[in-house]
Amino acid sequence: MGGVIPKQVATIHAVDGVTFNIELGETFGLVGESGCGKTTLARVVLRLIPPTGGEVRYRGRELFKLGQREMRRLRLEMAMVFQNPYGSLNPRMTIADSVGEPLDIHSLAKGAEKEKRIMELVEKVGLAPFHIYRYPHEFSGGQKQRIGIARALAGNPKLLVADEPVSSLDVSVRAQILNLLNDLQEEFGFTYLYISHDLSTVKHMCDRVAVMYLGKIAELGSVQDVYNSPLHPYTKALMSAIPIPGRRRKDRAILKGTVPTPIDPPPGCRFNPRCQFSEPMCTKENPALIEVEKGHFVACHQKK
Amino acid sequence: MSEYLLDIEDLRVYYYLAEGVVKAVDNVHLKIGKEEVLGLVGESGCGKSTVALSIMRLIRNPGKIVGGEIWFDGENLLKKSDAEMRQIRGGRIATIFQNPMSSMNPVFTVGSQIGEAIKLHQDVQKSEIIEKVVDILDKVGIPSAQERAKDYPHEYSGGMLQRAMIAMALSCNPKLLIADEPTTNLDVTIQAQILELMRALRKAFDASILLIGHDLGVISELCDRVAVMYAGKVVEHAVLSAIFEEPKHPYTQALLKSIPRLDMKAERLHIIPGTVPRLIDPPPGCRFHPRCEHAMKICSEAEPLLTDAGKDHSVACFLYSSKKAKPPT
Repeated sequence: MGGVIPKQVATIHAVDGVTFNIELGETFGLVGESGCGKTTLARVVLRLIPPTGGEVRYRGRELFKLGQREMRRLRLEMAMVFQNPYGSLNPRMTIADSVGEPLDIHSLAKGAEKEKRIMELVEKVGLAPFHIYRYPHEFSGGQKQRIGIARALAGNPKLLVADEPVSSLDVSVRAQILNLLNDLQEEFGFTYLYISHDLSTVKHMCDRVAVMYLGKIAELGSVQDVYNSPLHPYTKALMSAIPIPGRRRKDRAILKGTVPTPIDPPPGCRFNPRCQFSEPMCTKENPALIEVEKGHFVACHQKK
Repeated sequence: MSEYLLDIEDLRVYYYLAEGVVKAVDNVHLKIGKEEVLGLVGESGCGKSTVALSIMRLIRNPGKIVGGEIWFDGENLLKKSDAEMRQIRGGRIATIFQNPMSSMNPVFTVGSQIGEAIKLHQDVQKSEIIEKVVDILDKVGIPSAQERAKDYPHEYSGGMLQRAMIAMALSCNPKLLIADEPTTNLDVTIQAQILELMRALRKAFDASILLIGHDLGVISELCDRVAVMYAGKVVEHAVLSAIFEEPKHPYTQALLKSIPRLDMKAERLHIIPGTVPRLIDPPPGCRFHPRCEHAMKICSEAEPLLTDAGKDHSVACFLYSSKKAKPPT
């Protein structure tokens, strides 16, 4: 340690005290604005970054206690679809190489068998077999995202983490990818962790949803509960902030100010400086996530 | 001259690239009335930003305005000298861009940048400039504007900086405000703040607004009329409610059906097959026909002309009119 430049200048509480579970075969949504910690959480779930504290259990096994070799085997079951299909494919690898790479790494298939498997995967996501000898730049954004999905499918995963899978795509292409993800889930019974800031697509895709604010879960419940009867003031504001095509919203609760920095989060409830219902209690004590109706959790002092 | 503040006639803007000519904007007609908000919607690459740049005469090489007229307040902007254009830009026509971080100069304070715009376009004393800057920052909702005017852009958050951009645009009382995706980079709660602000300012400043965007929800919040662009052409143009309640062009219809919505539940989303065509060699005839579920024989042979299809509603589609555009020469 030591040196001219200090190694650590501050601690960012990107994700702080978050507890949730994802059930087999469901699509679990994680929504929140930029910087709320949703991507960090996704990376922890896949053990791409270690948490400062806490555990992640996957099918009963504590991920961060597994050895390298065991983890490697488990990685087959967990795959990720990235936000930016332009950046997540190696421009110097053909589609066959990119999609086939997981097959090599885990020695799943070789030679003619591998090629057959690659063709299968590519067809599953709606591309033609002759496409596999081409390079990423020859494809449109939507097609690249299909390739990214094919690659994620290569190891026969059980859990797919999709981090903003459609936000960099054109509006008319988004529907194609969303439908594809739904079809694949139906066919293979995947469990999805779907991360997005776009509340409309989350509503369309998910069974249950967690709303994050500044590293904490503000509200968690079924899509029906959270969207139709939101309890947390932040969720309410978020829902009313979304513009709806063809309508001029009059019922808006406009939030003041911006999201504070996670380096120095406000004491008590992290939402209190922007909350119109804030009470003295809210600036002192951090509200716990409690179940107010069956399966509907909220972290707010007013809802006890 | 006319009842319109801005009247774009037959605008054509081409980019001359090594691989060929990109017809980014082709035969586009647009009209904006006084104090009206027109939404220009379309996907990336459809030419909507090129239209905005053409109005400001900011098309750069290899792009070129090949033909057409842009009438603003009774004058043809395409006939103006560069010096005259400099006076108009930032003065009578102001712009807000998508990314406020890159639209501001990082080495000058926000206040001095707004002050520069005022100094260039208005006849005011040096001492009055700072007063005007603080006043306009206050109007767009920057708290303690006096102090914040002395801050540099990196000291502002994204939403605040977009407010400052709006302040700069409005500082010279423009007649036309061009807003190119003004809220795309912002979080939803901040987007709601900016939309609310633009709505309030619209009333206060009596300016016409050209709002460019791809988010139909944002467009609905502000606009009176909407023009839908696809692959360099305006395919439909109508009052806001007509676009959403009785869309006529198959592209508009399909687009509306393909977006997941907060207020409706759809089991499956409608799909528009294929992708947006490359404009180096657009499909012959109607540019949407390869993706259109109503495509007929004529659609691949001739190009439909934007024609009236109801009160204040025009559409370029052979389902409604057999009027063809003149074949290109």
